[in-house]
Amino acid sequence: MPRDASARREFATRWSVRVVTFGLALVGALLLARGAAASNAAVGLSDASSDGLAVPRWLYVATGGAAIGASALLAGFVTDRGFVERLHDWRRDVAASNRVREVGRAVAAFVGLALFALVVYRGFTGPQLSTINFGVVVVFAGGRAGLTMAAYAVGNVWPALNPFETIGSRLPNGFVDYPDRLGRWPAALGILLLVWLETTTGLTDTPATLAAVVAAYGVVAVAGAVLVGSDAWVRNIDPIATFFRFYGRVAPLAWEDGRLRASLPAMRLVDIDERTDNVVDANEGNDPVSDDSSDPRGQLMTGMGDVAVAVALVWELTFSGFVTTEQGVAAVRAVVGVGVPPTLVYAALFVGGFALFYGAYVAAARVSVRRVLTTRTPRELAVAFAPSLLVVAAGYHLAHYFAFFLSLLPSLLAVLAAPLSAPTNPVVLTLPAWVSALNIVFVLGGHLVAIWVAHSIAYRLFPSRLQAIRSQYPFVFVMIGYTVASLWLISLPTATPAFLG
Amino acid sequence: MTDVQSDPSRRSERDTAETPTYACDDCGRRFYTQDLLVLHRGVAHPSALDEGERDAYREAYAAEERAIRSFRIRALGILVLLYFGFLLLYVFYAS
Repeated sequence: MPRDASARREFATRWSVRVVTFGLALVGALLLARGAAASNAAVGLSDASSDGLAVPRWLYVATGGAAIGASALLAGFVTDRGFVERLHDWRRDVAASNRVREVGRAVAAFVGLALFALVVYRGFTGPQLSTINFGVVVVFAGGRAGLTMAAYAVGNVWPALNPFETIGSRLPNGFVDYPDRLGRWPAALGILLLVWLETTTGLTDTPATLAAVVAAYGVVAVAGAVLVGSDAWVRNIDPIATFFRFYGRVAPLAWEDGRLRASLPAMRLVDIDERTDNVVDANEGNDPVSDDSSDPRGQLMTGMGDVAVAVALVWELTFSGFVTTEQGVAAVRAVVGVGVPPTLVYAALFVGGFALFYGAYVAAARVSVRRVLTTRTPRELAVAFAPSLLVVAAGYHLAHYFAFFLSLLPSLLAVLAAPLSAPTNPVVLTLPAWVSALNIVFVLGGHLVAIWVAHSIAYRLFPSRLQAIRSQYPFVFVMIGYTVASLWLISLPTATPAFLG
Repeated sequence: MTDVQSDPSRRSERDTAETPTYACDDCGRRFYTQDLLVLHRGVAHPSALDEGERDAYREAYAAEERAIRSFRIRALGILVLLYFGFLLLYVFYAS
């Protein structure tokens, strides 16, 4: 690499870009925060909150989209390969003791089993009121909100907690070989199915139903692990383990080669081995056999099933956001008014929306390949860029669940302190209004980091830096679409979903 | 646009129908243009380059640098448009 005047100039550009990016992000965030009302759209336990927009909604949404586009252009200014590499290769050792790890694992496995037993037991026998029932509070405030937030903000502890793996891996297992051509599609479908159950069956309101579903999930998970082997089950089919593993990749902390190491947040998502490698373990093309599940290089994503999981994580939050807004409720009511059964409307919306998100992403990969003239296939690009979607999903998740988690934190602590008795004086915090303004920051922040991750990935994929920049444009447009949809949703007043629960 | 000649990926858009004929000796990856192959070898196999290849890589890198500079100017133009466009929109519509 020529290290002369151009290198020095690049250094100067780099710093000015960093300052400008930060300034722009700050100004954008302040502008948006000024008049926008956002709402907690957590399914089921949400409480309505809204006030008027000082900025017209279309302008607020357009500003968000423009912020993403502008930051993509700004990321294009950073053309120093060395700098890009340094950022995502940065690692610090935090701990290296295997003893600590083993003890931690044993304790976590025990805690996981105890929590599973208590969720089922208290779900059936505890008070049938969602805000004080141990099962509901632990599963939704604890797992769905808190543990997931910890998974992408700190590190993923689910593999240690996972009670189903604890049991399944101790039983004789692996009687059938997992058909590798299915890839991660079973997990993607499983995640969609769980979200569907969560949204439509009133799990959040009826603790007994939740306990039954959790118990059934446990039986299926242990049986599945025994059938195809614990590792194959957890890696390819188990929706909850996959959910946490994918989110966990965003986190700064992880065990690598027996050591607990810290990286910059989201930078472990850039895991394509080297610029020369095939991204997918493929004979390439649409051969389904190549949708392989084994990840020899520690890569998170190796097939289109993984792309589906990443898109599903983004879509499920958009969906649960949509059906809990007044506009969403009105839309559903309007269609049901024509005579369509409500469940069918929700199913069509759920599956159709996922197909739309997935289709848009895959189409972006196709356009990208046509634009930059490369021998890489659309499939390769789709798989390679998909990790950046996880940051987007993490941002959405934080926007949807942060306030929800804070307000239910006292209840969570109360039920954990005394699992076998109902809390006598349940507290639900009322949060100051500015907390909901944070949602916009979370959504935009997720997208901005995702833009950077995509930029890093592009630099690993393409020899020419201009190719790398150009290859991202279609993906940036898809991301702008996702942002616009999500910002619009969190600005709408919330309502109870129609015809559900 | 004046940079068409120095921009490897853009120039090659004319020959889309061609097959990728330039193959890397070390990893077998194929490319549509000589420039891309040179850049690829410089980035992915820096230790395998001989003197001639190293010079070719320097040259391709510098040519790419020129193309990137023109990209930066255009990008800056778009950013300025976006900024002032939104400034005006906010002046008129936000209250």
